[in-house]
Amino acid sequence: MRSRSKMRRWKMAVLGVNALLLVLAGCQTQRGEPGAPPEGQAASANGVDPVQPAGGELTFALATSPDSLDPHRSGLAVAVRVIRTIHDSLVVQDDNGQIKPWLAESWDISDDGLTYTFKLREDVKFHDGTPFNAEAVKYNFDRIVNPETKARNAVALLRPYESSEVVDEHTIRVHLFEPSSAFLGNLSQALLGIVSPTAAEKYGEDLVRHPVGTGPFKFVSWSENASITVERNEDYHWAPETVQNAGVPYLDRITFHIIPEEATRIGSVQSGQVLAAETVPPQNIASLEQDPGIQIFKTDTNGLPYTLFINQSREPWNELKARKALLYGVNVDAIIKSLYLGTYERAWSPLAPGMLGYNKALENSFSYDPGKAAALLDELGWKAGGDGIREKDGKKLTLHYVEVSPNREKRNDIAAMIQQQLKQIGIDVKVEITKDYRTVVFENGDYDLYGNSQVNSDPEALRSFYHSSSTSVAGKQSLSGLKDPAVDRLLDEGNVETDTAKRIKIYEQVQQEIMDRAAIIPIYVFPYTVAASRSVSGLSFDYLGYPIFNDVVLQEK
Amino acid sequence: MTVKDFVLGKTVWRESKRQTAARPRLRSLGTGDWLAAVSGVILAFAALCALFPGWIAPYSPTSMEADRVLLPPGAAHYFGTDYFGRDIFSVVVYGARDSLLIGVASVLAGGLAGCIIGAAAGIAGGVIDLILMRFIEIVMTIPGILLALAIAAVLGPNLFNMIFAVAVSMVPGFARVFRSQIISVKGRAFITAARSIGMPAPRIFFRHVLPNAWSPVLVMATIGLGTSILTAAGLSFLGLGVVKEIPDWGTLLSQGRGYLTVAWWISTFPGIAITLLVLSGNILGDWLRDRLDPKREQR
Repeated sequence: MRSRSKMRRWKMAVLGVNALLLVLAGCQTQRGEPGAPPEGQAASANGVDPVQPAGGELTFALATSPDSLDPHRSGLAVAVRVIRTIHDSLVVQDDNGQIKPWLAESWDISDDGLTYTFKLREDVKFHDGTPFNAEAVKYNFDRIVNPETKARNAVALLRPYESSEVVDEHTIRVHLFEPSSAFLGNLSQALLGIVSPTAAEKYGEDLVRHPVGTGPFKFVSWSENASITVERNEDYHWAPETVQNAGVPYLDRITFHIIPEEATRIGSVQSGQVLAAETVPPQNIASLEQDPGIQIFKTDTNGLPYTLFINQSREPWNELKARKALLYGVNVDAIIKSLYLGTYERAWSPLAPGMLGYNKALENSFSYDPGKAAALLDELGWKAGGDGIREKDGKKLTLHYVEVSPNREKRNDIAAMIQQQLKQIGIDVKVEITKDYRTVVFENGDYDLYGNSQVNSDPEALRSFYHSSSTSVAGKQSLSGLKDPAVDRLLDEGNVETDTAKRIKIYEQVQQEIMDRAAIIPIYVFPYTVAASRSVSGLSFDYLGYPIFNDVVLQEK
Repeated sequence: MTVKDFVLGKTVWRESKRQTAARPRLRSLGTGDWLAAVSGVILAFAALCALFPGWIAPYSPTSMEADRVLLPPGAAHYFGTDYFGRDIFSVVVYGARDSLLIGVASVLAGGLAGCIIGAAAGIAGGVIDLILMRFIEIVMTIPGILLALAIAAVLGPNLFNMIFAVAVSMVPGFARVFRSQIISVKGRAFITAARSIGMPAPRIFFRHVLPNAWSPVLVMATIGLGTSILTAAGLSFLGLGVVKEIPDWGTLLSQGRGYLTVAWWISTFPGIAITLLVLSGNILGDWLRDRLDPKREQR
């Protein structure tokens, strides 16, 4: 009996070792790949482009999987990192937020701010050979606003768009239903990138997996939850002035590996299995900075910081005092200090510090004060019960906190900390960690507290989160549920105001109003970090903090 | 002279024979018992942690001190602190409750269900046996952890579902062992004898079959305790466990894995706790099997 079971264990052990060997063998071949001469290199060796440095493959580890590579039908920042390599936009924002030409050579804005006339480049074509022209741009805009496309963030970005008309082959006139100072900035975003009309017609909904644009890289393949490969566009010569290399990118190809596990992702770049990895966990930054083979790129993302939205359409959070209690009862400094080891900056406002009109006066405008929070809840009649949880009319004070799985940027851990912090002021926090946040939050609106952030280019981004006309949640409200005439009026004014100084004043005021209403708890400003091998140079970031690969060169170590 | 020699020699021979006969038995008893005793103490300590964690843990498992994050093990914090600033020793002690609860409850539930199926198949025989056993074999084709994973993923994370998921994965083993045990006891002479004197079937089952069939199940249950704790920890590690304020060991293990290079202690100590508990269960199970196996006693 015993010897047989021993035998079986032995066999199991052999099997286990075999499996391990297989895995290792897999790694080996993967690692070997970049060494093999990729097809693209043959072209440069043949003297087609002799000045071009040796290409090679950049392997770049992403923290999560993109949802879609159709720019109009995505909302994830991680997807944009890939989308940006495949798709170009009409205009580009430089480091100062100024609008510069890209696919559009120049543009005119009518005096009433309702008509934009773009003169397009004439020498651009899509990866599938389709010529880029006014017709293609019109197709793209109409596609975004067509409800059948089920466009996501792109609709909000294109918002005042009404229609467009083709003036000639390379001139397009765009009509807005109201002036928008955010319009050009929004057009620069990858989510309003121009897709090939031929491909969009051909693939339909499937364009999410077969993206075709005019970008510096062409889509090659996507293997689910594993990797996405793009190769350089040999015809590319229309890069914007924000990158140094206006022509064909130096890299032969980029393979984005999807490695959600933090330790594995960082380990992969340290061991050389990938050349770069995004989103370095705070605890690894210090040790990586000492690693002689590794360099760390860090850039602040623009838009809306990671913010906890208090759903004020639900009781008791419809009361200002209850929301204020949450604001005073959450110790954001402790979160920044323990989870992020001080490597993230604390957020104080609905906007990230790099945004136009950021209200600096909000910084340090309030502090953690559990006593004040408790007093506010007392005033509302929530009295401490036997188990320390407050009650009112026999009802316990609970808070439904929804957060998304997997644990991106330690957001689930924030939930665990806030659960303990709010327990101290007598609130029973029920944390729900779900993959299906679309249903729970956006379709059913079943949350009291939900965290979100958004990379964006213009403070107009506030509209979909705070304007009463927003219908992103349950078809009836914004994430905050704020329905306030003063905020609405300011948001409307800010969008049409053309004088930048006045716009800044308006948005400063909006941020103040939102915080006065305790609509949100701002938590952190996300620094986008990339750990890369020293052999990688030329990696840059656009205004929003997305990586740009046009100038990247791989050097022999 | 010769006689004396003979007597002496005989005595010497007897003496030596007694020693050689006694020595191996003593040694085998010693090592096994010693290991089993240690295992018993570990299990008892784990049970104590589960029942009265407040007596053992120096801190509250939920108190998070932002000033005391990622401290290495030391006098103030035996197992160090994690990235929340929690005392890991206290969290491990409190985490014993869920780990043990899931282990014990799923073994009880899975064992009971398995034994009922096994007994039904063994006693009834024929078509019922055939159907039940084919069903069990179908379940067996799916590896236990995979089955538990699938169930936990479908039902969603809560304590009951987790116990259910682990329990279901244990049913086939119990059913097969118990069935074969029942069948072998059923065919013995004393059962035929009991039947021949007209003893009613239920009485035969409870008085004669059951007492002679349960000992392997006890062994399986002890070893199964370890397996189920491991499965549950695996589910928690993969994020299919219960979302709660006090993490169980599997969750703690998973929380610490991002910090392995900077704070090895977060994952290591709950890992050691799981290893110790599973090992203790297995050693105790082996020991029990040795005690209860009639064949081994004869040797």
